[in-house]
Amino acid sequence: MTGRAIGGRHAVIAHYVALLVLAVITLMPIWVMVSTGFKNDVLVQQKEPVWFFFVPTLGNYEHIMTRGNFDGYLWNSIIVGSLSTLFTLVFGGFCAYALARKEFRGREFTANSTLLVRMVPPAVLAVPVFAMVVNFGLNNDLAVLTFFYTALNLPFAIWLLFGFFKQIPVELEEAAVIDGASPLQVYFRVLLPLMKSGYAVAGIFTFRIAWNEFILALLLTSRKTRTLPVGAAGFITDTGVEWGRIMAMGTLIVIPPLIFTFFAARQIIAGMTAGAVKG
Amino acid sequence: MSIRTLSPYFFILPAVAIMFAGLVYPVLQAFYLSLFDWKIGTKFNDAPYVGVRHFVRMLTDDNVHESIWVTLRFGFWTITIEMFLGVSLALLLEKPIRGASVFRTIFILPLMISPVVVGLIWRYLFDARIGWINYYLGMIGVEPQVWLGDPELAFFAIVFTDIWQWTPFIFIIVIAGLQALPSEILEASKIDGANWWQHILFVKLPMIRSILLIALLLRLIDVFRALEVMYILTGGGPGRATELLSLHIYNRAFETQQLGYASAISVLLILIVFGLSFAILVAGNPMKEKSDI
Amino acid sequence: MNLMNWKNRLAAVTTGAALAMAGPALANPYEKYAGTTLVISWPALAHFNAAEGLLEEFTEETGIEVEVDALQYLKLRDRQLLEMSKDEGEYDIVSWVVMWKGEYVSKGLLTPLSQFFTNGALVDPEFNIDDIADAYLQNGGVVGGQKGYLPGKSGGLYGLPFGAETSILAYRKDIFEEQGLAVPTTYDELTEVMTQLDAAGIPAMTSRGKTGHQVTAGWLLHLAPMGGKIFDDQWNPVINSPEGVKAAEFMRHVVQTGPTGIETFGFGEAAAAFLQGDAALYLDTLKIAAMSRNPNLSTVDGKVGFALHPTDVRCGSETGGFAIGIPANSQNQEAAFLLIQYLTNKAGDQRMVELGGDPIRHSTIQNNAGQFTEYPVVAEQLPCADPDWRPLIPEWNELNIDVLGQALTRVITTNDPIQPIMDEANEKARAIMEREGYYKWAAYRQGN
Repeated sequence: MTGRAIGGRHAVIAHYVALLVLAVITLMPIWVMVSTGFKNDVLVQQKEPVWFFFVPTLGNYEHIMTRGNFDGYLWNSIIVGSLSTLFTLVFGGFCAYALARKEFRGREFTANSTLLVRMVPPAVLAVPVFAMVVNFGLNNDLAVLTFFYTALNLPFAIWLLFGFFKQIPVELEEAAVIDGASPLQVYFRVLLPLMKSGYAVAGIFTFRIAWNEFILALLLTSRKTRTLPVGAAGFITDTGVEWGRIMAMGTLIVIPPLIFTFFAARQIIAGMTAGAVKG
Repeated sequence: MSIRTLSPYFFILPAVAIMFAGLVYPVLQAFYLSLFDWKIGTKFNDAPYVGVRHFVRMLTDDNVHESIWVTLRFGFWTITIEMFLGVSLALLLEKPIRGASVFRTIFILPLMISPVVVGLIWRYLFDARIGWINYYLGMIGVEPQVWLGDPELAFFAIVFTDIWQWTPFIFIIVIAGLQALPSEILEASKIDGANWWQHILFVKLPMIRSILLIALLLRLIDVFRALEVMYILTGGGPGRATELLSLHIYNRAFETQQLGYASAISVLLILIVFGLSFAILVAGNPMKEKSDI
Repeated sequence: MNLMNWKNRLAAVTTGAALAMAGPALANPYEKYAGTTLVISWPALAHFNAAEGLLEEFTEETGIEVEVDALQYLKLRDRQLLEMSKDEGEYDIVSWVVMWKGEYVSKGLLTPLSQFFTNGALVDPEFNIDDIADAYLQNGGVVGGQKGYLPGKSGGLYGLPFGAETSILAYRKDIFEEQGLAVPTTYDELTEVMTQLDAAGIPAMTSRGKTGHQVTAGWLLHLAPMGGKIFDDQWNPVINSPEGVKAAEFMRHVVQTGPTGIETFGFGEAAAAFLQGDAALYLDTLKIAAMSRNPNLSTVDGKVGFALHPTDVRCGSETGGFAIGIPANSQNQEAAFLLIQYLTNKAGDQRMVELGGDPIRHSTIQNNAGQFTEYPVVAEQLPCADPDWRPLIPEWNELNIDVLGQALTRVITTNDPIQPIMDEANEKARAIMEREGYYKWAAYRQGN
């Protein structure tokens, strides 16, 4: 494989060096966050950057976990993230299946509109959603948030799952139908087992967006229903930004997406390129 | 038989209903709200009807124009640089090598982390007093700069942050596209005696142009959607130097409480974004034709 | 037996209030509300952080639970407005920046405190409202008087000051001594001192300068002593008056001679620059004094001197900070009043000083004058506190953020001539006032 490279060994080394430089540029800011979370206030406020060699402290973590309402924020984020992911996958899966496999009137309209509503900017939703909450007296913040995250994620999930359904040979279904299976049985017994990786990708993307979203959460949540990003922004206080604490909180927020990235990088890339790259 | 013809509708109904109530209805609501002068803390029923007055005001509102101009400039610089960097790096580094997957994992990290966190990290790095960027620039003799307090520098800061976050996206999808190209054609062009530049310009790039186009349009729409990073990083300031249209709407609605007027600007934003989205549909909706994928 | 049953049933259907009146008098005015949980919305500022200690004492003494939702102070308003416009809001007590009082009351979101001051079971006879500094009380709590926000007979009391403030000058004694500088008493002297500090390579005065509310607050601090106003008596904006332009010129001088980054400074950053030793002067809220003694915030404790806000054509210091009151949709208004009273009565005020907060009562300031060097200064400064420091009308928010906050950012981030910037801002302000109908009466009178 490497033997074919233009210029041979030198080119390969140059290739690695280039990738390494890019990786460092990419990781540097993330490392700044992680390390700052383990620094005490003196180090954080110090003008001279300290990269690696300092005595780490857990003080910031202790502070955010004991004072304030970290448990609550975490729980809210988990609830909203997992419920909206679940709904998105179930309903998005149904919809993608119908669009990929069935012929029906309005199919093309649905497909096109789905893509169109994917583009709705969250800022456009802000005022109307606020109006709906106030005017309809919606009181359960987390349910409202779960609903809107599901809505925001459905178009992309449908788009993604559509591609995965397309890759499954039709013959499998036809065989099941001949055996007398109902549409729902076909979906759950035949297709679902084959769609695992598709659901994994869609699930990761959905959860990531719900987990990271800030503007709607800021608007819709109150004292007891804030999610982690909103809680983190709360450390920008009037006595200045509490950098150590906010970075510790940032690090905690980043952990789940980080885990996904390490275990499912290939699937995530497949998801990102699904729209742009056709086989 | 009737169950067979109805079943597709059962399958799409929940998703369509949620998308309608959660996305389409609010957009329609934005149109409706833009006709009223509603302020936070008052009952909507008491809000006076003002007709198209907000739209008329928008036409002559320098703040809105400035914000659109900022958004366009932001889009121009970020997308140009990201496309250039992403595509050139991809062309240079497309060759499959051992360990590529590790690097790819690293490159998607900026895309996975929360925009709030991205904003916080860079706000710390760009801080005038304790920021690392000023420190290292100081070592090469550059005076400390107020990155987030000077209109030009703050604009630079948000462009820089966006480039850091999104160049890897272009890089990765272009690499995926390049590696999916049929090798026979590439070999053929080499045999034809095309040099490296010709090979890239006349063979490779044209073959991935649909990827490039869709990546470009997706980024363009993202420019009109972006607000969280800037909300944390600069809040849109100084002045309106970094107030992208989305952030402008948010600030109008919730800082100065002009919900109706903010809705009118939302309508403008929707029209822009839907215009761009139609371009994507024309460029190719993967769900349009059944046999496409 | 039967009679007892009947009595019990009657008791069950009678409201709690009636029961308290009819039954034997409770020994403790708090007893009736024990077990209630009050939710407070207030800012994450040093004074309020200190007050959490007092809340714990309140719970211990009364059995009334208190939960706090502390937010960045400029984010409070959104949250409070949203909660207060619901049928049943989350907050029982809200703390507002004085500039929001007009808006809150005009939207009918607050309960008049007269409802409670007329209730003998609630009011502590020793409360003595006259002991509270008048500038604070009028500015934070009274709405509907002259011009809608100044004292006057048409006004009503909606809140009590808590974390209220005026402005004083804080300076670094060590730097002044080292440089052989005298403490400035006028703006001319102040300008000169800043120039000298700058020439000596020392960042002179910190200030708020972030776009929007913050930069406007910085400018207002200088407008009042220079004799400027936002409106004349007919609601005509006079932002571009010679005084307004002069204050803007001074702001530019502050930024040019001050610490790096004023253009991005909010309240916290501006204070931090002084407290971390990056500026020699601080001219803003008296809160800086307590903050300078807090080892978590400050590295300059013991090096800070305090003086009166310098004068120009007049003495005029800010009236600002916070007041606390009760939302109209609170379900626990009486218990909320008891807590507010607890925080602001003589004992509470003294405890706030001990916990590191700022007092609102003349007696507290006098009693502690020996202990804290800024208290005599504050006592002398208070008569200069200008109740008309800024127009606390509902439209102020838009003027503050959208008009002045933008124009002044141009003043401090560019070298453009100042007069045209202020002229433009003045026109925008006039358009807003026009839109909101402030000139209708004048037009009507002229028509007749």
